[in-house]
Amino acid sequence: MKKSLRDFLADLDQAGELRMIEDTVDVRDVSALVSQSKRALMCNSLKDYPGWRLCGGLLSTRKRLALAMGGSENEVAMRFEEGLGRALDPLIVSDAPCHEVVRLGSEVDLTAIPFPMMHVLDGGPYISATMVTSKDPEFGRNVGSYRLMYRTPTETGIDLVSPSDMRFYYQRALDKGQPLDIAIAIGVHPYEMLAASFKAPIDSDEYAIAGGLHREPIPLVKCKTVDLEVPADAEIVLEGEILPIGWTADEGPFGEFSQISGDVKWNPIFRVKCITHRKDPIFYLLQMPWENDWLCAPVTEAAGLLALRAASVKPVAIRAPVGSCGYWTLIASIRKRPGEGKNALLALLSVAEVKLAIVTDEDVDIHDPDDLDWALTFRVQADRDVIIVDGARGKHVDPSIRAWELGKGGLPTTAKLGIDATIPEGIPKKFYKRLRYYGNDRVKLEDFQ
Amino acid sequence: MTVITPLADRIVRAIRDRPQQFAETVDAHRDVPWPEFLRAWGEVRALNRLERDEDGRYYFKDSEPPTAN
Repeated sequence: MKKSLRDFLADLDQAGELRMIEDTVDVRDVSALVSQSKRALMCNSLKDYPGWRLCGGLLSTRKRLALAMGGSENEVAMRFEEGLGRALDPLIVSDAPCHEVVRLGSEVDLTAIPFPMMHVLDGGPYISATMVTSKDPEFGRNVGSYRLMYRTPTETGIDLVSPSDMRFYYQRALDKGQPLDIAIAIGVHPYEMLAASFKAPIDSDEYAIAGGLHREPIPLVKCKTVDLEVPADAEIVLEGEILPIGWTADEGPFGEFSQISGDVKWNPIFRVKCITHRKDPIFYLLQMPWENDWLCAPVTEAAGLLALRAASVKPVAIRAPVGSCGYWTLIASIRKRPGEGKNALLALLSVAEVKLAIVTDEDVDIHDPDDLDWALTFRVQADRDVIIVDGARGKHVDPSIRAWELGKGGLPTTAKLGIDATIPEGIPKKFYKRLRYYGNDRVKLEDFQ
Repeated sequence: MTVITPLADRIVRAIRDRPQQFAETVDAHRDVPWPEFLRAWGEVRALNRLERDEDGRYYFKDSEPPTAN
């Protein structure tokens, strides 16, 4: 049976990576507690929310992400790529834990959900762990992750500033003066979150990608008020519509995945028509920026691997460092043939908003910053091995692109930098022979007292 | 004239007195249960008169105070 959020919590607990808090906690304080905990956190009693529990920080380290994916930390990208390659269509089921409680009409009240305070400069309480499903009459279903800022008991802001398939769907609905129906699942397994984060081609189904990651189909259930489907084992589901008002409502600031407190943005409003949840729901507080960044990393890395393979370059390892939020930098080692250092750079720089790409040979351990520095120092000549591409697609949350100078709904551009740190063509490999210590294969330190 | 609860009125008056970050408004009402605060904040939002300054603080553009019920 497919793993749910609860199964992942049990896995974390078994691995000693989950801390339980039994004392009653005020929802206003949970984010601070999650940020102080070295382990993922589960609050089993929430003040003013009887019957609810809250978990957070589940994926704040690559170790815990690797645990979710059942492999080592350095295998995360490869595992994600494997999952992409075996997409499995979802199943439709009629019975769903997420429908154990259904609130319609006057019972719709977002204040009944433990909307947490997250950061000092946020414009309101936020839900950050969303899996948002939408549908377009021509292009079909799409799933993504979009933050929600509490506004009223029936409305939230929704961040649709960045380019995405759902933004495209919303624009098409808006052009007709129509709302866009959406359904938001909160509290799903990390595989579903990863699939929602992946920038899949518009004709592919993120639920099928999640199925590939799980190695079994995702059970989906039809929503109560909109013609959409959501994971049956979700903890909470919000159904409703994005109002056809365009980018006109203030939203933010929010502690962005760029590790910066963002700016006020102009966004549409999501109106909730139905809330469903389990009888004993667990609210998932996705801790920004770390959980978001660790979720981003394998998605960016897998996109990099796909781009390299499409360019007929053989990747050996790839890394999207958390310092770049798992998003803006890709470092790859390759099994190089002449010219492929540059081909690899061009491929990596084509990935989403990646603005720095570094390529090394396979003898360099890209997970070791010192080894990477060594390659950058001795394999790079700036006049030959650096590529700069101007005017590529950028992302608002990067302050260096001056997004505030754009009008409402405007899209920014960025410059991209590639560094080829492979051994330059024409330099014999003998000049890069590593030091080896005499007798190292024969003499072992542990044999000496 | 919009009628709002005393708690929402308290929030309105505080923001009229001085533009506030949302967290400052929350801090000033830690004695109020969170769901109750959120409902009151929803009332303030529904007035459709809140504005944002460049640092994200909430303020009221007009000066006409709503009436508490």
